[in-house]
Amino acid sequence: MNELELKVKETLIRASTVFSEDKKAVIRKAIETELNPNAKWVLETILENAETAENTLRPTCDDTGIPHLFIEMGGGKSVSADMLCSIQQGVVEGMRALPCRPMAVKGNEIQRLEQSIGLYDDPGALALAPIRMKMVDEDVLRLYVLMQGGGPEIRGKTYRVFHQHNLSVIVDEIVSWAVEGAGLLGCTPCVPAIGIGRTHFEASALMIEAMAYGRFDVQNEIEQEITERVNQSNIGPLGLKGNTTALATFLRVGPQRASGVRIVCLRLCCCVEPRVACALI
Amino acid sequence: MMKTIETPISEVVAVELAVGEMLELTGCIFTGRDAVLPKLVEMIESGTLEQHGIDLRGSVIFHTAVSPAGVGPTSSNKFDIESTIPVLSKAGVKIHLGKGRLSDATIRALQEHNSVYAVIPPVSALLESKIVEKRVVAFPEEGMEAFHMLRVDGFPCIVAVAHGRTLYEL
Repeated sequence: MNELELKVKETLIRASTVFSEDKKAVIRKAIETELNPNAKWVLETILENAETAENTLRPTCDDTGIPHLFIEMGGGKSVSADMLCSIQQGVVEGMRALPCRPMAVKGNEIQRLEQSIGLYDDPGALALAPIRMKMVDEDVLRLYVLMQGGGPEIRGKTYRVFHQHNLSVIVDEIVSWAVEGAGLLGCTPCVPAIGIGRTHFEASALMIEAMAYGRFDVQNEIEQEITERVNQSNIGPLGLKGNTTALATFLRVGPQRASGVRIVCLRLCCCVEPRVACALI
Repeated sequence: MMKTIETPISEVVAVELAVGEMLELTGCIFTGRDAVLPKLVEMIESGTLEQHGIDLRGSVIFHTAVSPAGVGPTSSNKFDIESTIPVLSKAGVKIHLGKGRLSDATIRALQEHNSVYAVIPPVSALLESKIVEKRVVAFPEEGMEAFHMLRVDGFPCIVAVAHGRTLYEL
């Protein structure tokens, strides 16, 4: 394994096993302020799980997710085809070492759609999602590894909002989607990760950026409003009621279309997400 | 206050389980989800369960896959899972372990058979530390979705539906 492969492997394992310090802090704060004893117990158990995962290098969740890569590139740095091969191999090695859940579906298009001939035993057989690259104003090559679980995909939504030139219309729609999804997610508290752009592709890419950059201890006014309104739903951890339905909101707003429409991508991250780690490569 | 429950679970113990009680499960529990639970129901309905050496009386079924990445609850309200709860309860399952809200019809079926539904947080690393043994019992061709037996020591969960009451509506 070359140096880059090793670095990518370690980054994937870190994304899958370690809660960030700002996330741990926001959970501890929620435990202090939560009045519902069931909710408090769930939050304590989630924190205990995070500590166990970090100490044992076991995945925080058995749905270890689909690997998504986001690369920032700037200055004199660039990514060669050889580097992309090493990055891909590092992901494979990381998934095998963790180990990830073996869930690559076998077969041709129809067999994959119907999942009719089973799964590969090799955790490393899981194909990468398309890689997102972004130019940045730094002399840097930075890789983010995100592991995207299935529950948030079921409760996610990318759709148009007719904004009426009014931010509150967009926020109302996001809160409505988030509350509906949180009630069905099961693994709350959630983190709504949101991208708003001109196309479905762009909104999804911005949502991935939101997950990569988002911090639990740095929240703008829109993010705070969404979190507070989702928490008024009284869905609570695991849907057992309480004040902690969302821990934070991560929002990225991109360029917008000269039109009455905004494309909003909402991914309702579950309580172990965002599973993200980054490394300079 | 955690209440320790050991499997197999008697009718008397099951009738005393109450909504909101926090439990620690110890002993042998089964696992199954979308792929295998409907097959289990077919075996029950065709009377072939015992031929496979499976005794569900007093048992717990955890709605999860079992993979090298560990175990963790999948949504119990998926059709292929929730629709099996009435038949499995009638066959003797006392605790269905998963996550998510169940329908009123399922809540009534649980009550009819003195079974309960408990939810377990998605805490795979913690659960892995409490698994003493795991083996495939049936349907090995389903891989991680095969019908497994786990011997566990202190799985944490909370009773969400019991005897016609539900935590979601309190």
